[in-house]
Order: sequence, then C-alpha cells, then structure tokens
Amino acid sequence: MFFKIAVRNIRAYKKRSIITVILLACTTALLVFATAYMDGSHERMIRSSVEIYPGYVQITHRDFRDSPSLENLIFDAGQVTAALADLPGIAVLTPRYESFVLFAAGNKAVGGMLTGIDPAKEGRVSRLWESRKQGEYLEETDSALVYMGSELARRLKVGVNDEVAFVGTGADYSFSADTLRVKGIFRTGLFDFDNRAAFVAKSYLDRVMGAENYATHFIVLPARPEEAAELAAAIGERLGPEYEAASWRQTMAGLVQAMRVDTIFGYITLGIIFIVIFFVVMIYTMLAVSARLREIGILRAVGTEPGQVWRMLVMESVLLALVSVVAGGLIGGSLAYYFKLHPIVFSGFEEQFKQYGLAMTDMPTAFAPLVIVRDMALMFVLSVAATLYPIHKVNGYRPIEAMHHV
Amino acid sequence: MFRITCRIAWASLARRGSRSLLVVLMIAMSLWGLLFLEGIYDGMTEQMISNAIRSDSGQISLFAAGYRQDPDLDRLISQTEEVGRLLDNDRRVRSHVQRLRQDGLAATAHYARSVTVFGVDLGAERAHGRLDRYLIAGAYDFGDRKKGVLLGARLADKLKVKIGGKLIVSAQNSAQEVAGVALTITGIVRANNMALDEAAVFIDMDKARELFMTPTGVSQICVILQDEQDIAALRQELQQRFPDLEVLRWDEIYPALLQGRVMMKGFNLVMSLLIFGVAGLGIFGVMVVSVLERLREFGIMLAIGTSFSRVRQIIFTESFILGATGYLAGSLLGGATLVYFYHHGLDLTVFSQGLQEFGMDAITYAVIRPQYFLTAFGAVMLATLVSVLIPLRLLKKSNPIEAINKV
Repeated sequence: MFFKIAVRNIRAYKKRSIITVILLACTTALLVFATAYMDGSHERMIRSSVEIYPGYVQITHRDFRDSPSLENLIFDAGQVTAALADLPGIAVLTPRYESFVLFAAGNKAVGGMLTGIDPAKEGRVSRLWESRKQGEYLEETDSALVYMGSELARRLKVGVNDEVAFVGTGADYSFSADTLRVKGIFRTGLFDFDNRAAFVAKSYLDRVMGAENYATHFIVLPARPEEAAELAAAIGERLGPEYEAASWRQTMAGLVQAMRVDTIFGYITLGIIFIVIFFVVMIYTMLAVSARLREIGILRAVGTEPGQVWRMLVMESVLLALVSVVAGGLIGGSLAYYFKLHPIVFSGFEEQFKQYGLAMTDMPTAFAPLVIVRDMALMFVLSVAATLYPIHKVNGYRPIEAMHHV
Repeated sequence: MFRITCRIAWASLARRGSRSLLVVLMIAMSLWGLLFLEGIYDGMTEQMISNAIRSDSGQISLFAAGYRQDPDLDRLISQTEEVGRLLDNDRRVRSHVQRLRQDGLAATAHYARSVTVFGVDLGAERAHGRLDRYLIAGAYDFGDRKKGVLLGARLADKLKVKIGGKLIVSAQNSAQEVAGVALTITGIVRANNMALDEAAVFIDMDKARELFMTPTGVSQICVILQDEQDIAALRQELQQRFPDLEVLRWDEIYPALLQGRVMMKGFNLVMSLLIFGVAGLGIFGVMVVSVLERLREFGIMLAIGTSFSRVRQIIFTESFILGATGYLAGSLLGGATLVYFYHHGLDLTVFSQGLQEFGMDAITYAVIRPQYFLTAFGAVMLATLVSVLIPLRLLKKSNPIEAINKV
C-alpha cells in the first residue's frame, strides 16, 4: 500500500520529482565516472611505468636493494632460473646485469646505464623492443653491439653504425672498457630513461665485465600481472632467504603512494560537490513535504499513525533515489565503458606527463561493475539520508497544527 | 522605503527559518569547500614552481647559444662579468647566481650512477634560492679544503651513501679527457625538483673549474626578480643587450609546470561552475516555492496598489540576503581555513614518498588570493539573482484577483 501511495505522490509532484531525479542521477553518473577515470588513469600510469623497464616482479640478492654493491649481486643466475623453471604463474623470467659507465664518442663523454639483457625475453617483459626508432633490436649472439636511448645517442652525437666507447667497473672491480657499435636506437618517450639507458646482449657484457652467470636482478612477467604480489611471495618462498622477490608495489612504492594521494584528493573534491548536492536534495525534500503539510495533517487527523506517514514519505524518497542511482549508474557506467574503449587523450599536456615520468597521454577509464554498484549504493544511502531531516521535521507537527499551516 | 522592503524580505525569510538556514548553509559549505580546494591546489602548483625557480631556473636563465640543445663545455657564457655588473645595477633584480655544469658519473666503492655536476658558490646560492633550506642531512658546506659535495636526495638514496662517505666524480673536461676527483659527502639536499634530486652533485665552483679545466665562463646564469611582473621586460632587455646568449623564462625551461598551472586554473573554473551551478539550483527551488506559496499575499499587495517593481524588489532583496549571508559565512569559514593552512600548511608527510615522486613538498602551504573571494562573490550573486528570474516571471503572469480568491 505504501508503495502505491508513494508512486502516486511522486507522480503528483512531477516537477519536484523530475528535478530530484535529474540531480541525483547526474551526481551518481559523476561519481561513477570520476571513480572509473581515477582508477583507470592510475592503472594506466602504473602499467606504463612498470612495463617500460622496471617490470612487475624483481628478484635480487637479499641485500641488493639496501646496498646495491658488487658484493650483493646474484652470483648464480643459472641456479635461480632452474629453481623457478616449474613455478606456476611465471610467463617470462629474464636476468639483467646493470652497470653505470661513462660513454664516449668523438669528443663527447656522458655518464649512463649499460645493461646486459637477454634480447628475446627482454622484448616480452619491457617495452624496449617496441620502442625501436632506428636500426635493429638486439639478438642474443650480438657482440659489442649496443641498443641506445635516443637522447643519449643525441648527446653523444652518434647514429646507427657509429662507434661508442665505454669505461666502467667490472664485477671483480677491475677496469672494463670496450668499443661498441650502435645497432639500434629506441625512444620510450620517458626523457630520463632515453637520456641514460643503453643495452647490450648479456652474454657479451658478462664476458667484458667478468660477470659470467651473474645478474644484478631478474625480472619476472607474471602470467596474471594483477597477481604480481602473490607471485613475488611464492618466488621468495621457493628461492629461500638468500634472495628477495619484490612486486612492483614494493619497487615502485613512491608511485603507488602518489596514486593513493591522488585518489584521496579526488574524493575530497567529489566530497565537496556531494555536500552541495546533499543540501540541495534536502532543500527540495523540505519544500516538497512542507507543501504537503496540510495533506499530512488531514491524514493524521483521520487516524494515520506518525510511523505510517514516516514510512510513506521515506518510501517516496527511496523510490526516487532508486530510480536516480540506477539511471546515474547506467549513464556513468556507459561513459566508463565507452572511454575504456576510446581513451581520453590529453594531447596538449605531453610535457607535464613526461615530467611525472609517464610516457603516454591517453587515459582509459576502468570499467568495474562491482565498483559501479558500490558507488551507486553510496549515492543511494546519501540521497535517502538527505531526506530524513525534512521528513522528521514535518512528522513532528500535531495534526491540527499541520492542517492550519500556511 | 528601502528599509520597509528589507524588513518585509527579512520577515519572509525568518518565517521559513529552516528553509532559509539550509540555503545559507548550502552556500556557505560550497564556498568553504571551493576556497579550500583552490587555495591548497594552487599552493601545490606554486610550490612546485617556486622549487624549480629557487633550485634551478630562476625566473630568467641565460645560456650560451646552443647550450640547451647540446650542453657542452665549449658553449659557455664568456661575458660573465658584464652580465653580472648589469644585473647588480638593475633595481628589478633581487639576486643572481652563476653555475658551471657538466654531465658525469658518480661512483662509490661499490656502485655508480650517471649524474649532473654543478659547480656553485654556496654563499650566493643561499642568498639567491635559499638552497640551504633544502638541506635534509649534513652541513651546508664544502669544508675548508673545498673537497665536500652536496648530493640530491634520491641520488644519495640510490647510491646508498651517507654523510662522510667518499664519492668519486668523473666527467669530461674541456680538453675532452675524462677527469676525476675524490670528494667527501658533506650534505644531502631535497629540492623537490625531480631532475636535481635524482642526479645533482653540487661541488665548489673553483673545484669544478679545476676538474673541468675551465678557468673562465659559466654554463648558466639564473636571475630572480623583485617583482614577477618585470620578467618579460627584463628578459627582452637582456636578449637585446646579449644577442649571442639564450635568455629564457622559467616556464620555457619547465613547460610542464606552466601546463600544471593552466590545468589548475581550468580545474578551478570547472569546479566553481559545477558547485555554484548546483547551489543555484537549490536557491532557485527555494525562491520558486517561496513566490508560488505567497501568490495570495502578493496578489493582495498588488490589489491595494503596491507596484510590481516594489514586489520585485522584495523578492530580489530576499534572494540577495540569502546569497550575501551564505557568502559571508562561507568566506569567513573558508578564509579562516586558508589562513590556517597558509601559516601551518597541510601536512601530508605520511605520503611524502608519493609526493616526492611527483616533485611535490610533503607540507603544502595554502595560497590566498583576493580573486578567490571576488570570483566567488560574483558567482554567488549571479546564482542568487538569476534564480529569481523565473519565479518573477511566474508571478507577473499570474492574475492577482485569482490569487486572492484562491483557497
């Protein structure tokens, strides 16, 4: 019965109902879309940062992250590879040997990072292969051939097939130097990385650095990237205390925290909009129920209990809120789905993205039905809560008072 | 007569006290939130810009032609004394410093990183950009023998070095040979300028001249002005006076920060439109109902000879009182909040690692600009006045006799 009366009342006060529904639906759509945008852009930023080079899971000697010295290398890379060969969840496992050297070409000398990689596997765990701009990517058998960042090549004034010398410290602290020929040049879009990084085949660097079977770290591409933390734990357990396996959440803790701060500020901003809307809904409900004060007085005078009036009015606000959040959820969800397929492109803001270490300007939204339902539920509770005070207030009038209210 | 109008308007609002209070609260809360967001977000952006200006670019930077495209010791500013004299004698200039700069490699006994070596005069840097305030460990000093070095915080973290530790800095000198020097780490600085924190090695200017074999010339001259308004004029004058140098504004060196400022302005505008648009809808609802439920009252007033313009004045005054009271309450609340955060800052130290990732300070000090309050006043007044236009139209269309007879 309450349902029927509530529906009739909603239809009787059409204008108020429509404005309330539009307002709440727009707010719900805004919340759903803003959440999808925040989640999507954060996921995109993290994926971009992780996949360019750092990787989802890193395996190091247990002391390497705190003290990255030549004493804390992985001294038996083959044993690590063998130990993890049958561990489920690993799509690719590849070793790297990272060293910092001084590059010299012509009359230019520049400091940079020279890393030995397994070219085939590296192409799957990072974006090196797909970032090639000139020349060729590396092969496992390449000797004294280097694949170099575009900015580093520019600073050294070298192109494909030019020669570059390097001098660095070998794994045994000896002096290591050689002349390399530029095989290819890459550009990830990350200025700092392109400005400092160069790669050679690991088999070659191992010989030059006296680091046969050594690695500074391994990179693991999980079969399911979202389960990187669980995989890191399983790898740590398999390898024992001599090694440390850390997921990107640990190796890029700063970025993870930055995303959290961004989310918090995003919700603060939305919260302020919600406060205003909360008040507007409260005002509209107040206006609507005040206009019906005489009607409510008559209902009370003919024997309707205050509880029944309360239920009738709450039922109205529940129905309005329900229609609104469903409509808003559908609108916001559709937008989230659309922009997941067709990401928003911030074409004028490349510099700002680069400054933050992000080599992209397109931001897809996230489409997560459970998150959408959560946001809809939140808006539903807020919408109904906003109507409780006005309902409580009109229900507090005595029948005679209410009937004579002007 | 105006007094009577105000009294009638006030009486009408007081009669619907809860409703009026809700509208005032709504305006006040929206204004408070908006002022808080504007002040804090602008504070974040301006602190990042200030850090970049103080620690690196100044408001104007001078480089030798072609240096920015190809940083090299062959491309140094040779007329340092002439530029220095000119800047010393210009009243618009607050301070200026000279830096010598070269890319190199910093190595500990165990590890190495590519770095940018800056030859600086610590006294001048202190007076210029207060570099000493960025010190987070050790001393702001290169020691008696000038063999000390200040490191960027992230670089120190990556090299895993501490105060007192040894560092070998190697770089190419002007004779195209690789030269090295052993230094002792005397201090660690965090400027929240990502490029510096990640790779900067500050050494004494004389030591840098010795290392790079450059007895004269500098890579960069940075200038900070007394008044930001003079940047364009001084830049133009410097460029005309020294046509063979590149004279750049801070935003040409850090375009990302300018983009950030533009983005923030756009964001604030969208937020203002959204918040005051919704708040306007709330005021509109109240005013429509307020007029419609008093049609009889207005009908009687019109019937006994009150002019429509007087009735209109009453309605406008009601709306104005609501808007002005909400604005005053919101401005006081928002202003007080901003003053608090202007002095004490919003402490986000718990997220410092994340904020540093984006080159932001852990404590954000709010910015307070008169335009926040002026824009908000305009927006509130516009929202309150526009929201009564439709109710007035409804009133004008209605028939007073019908309204009087309506039960």
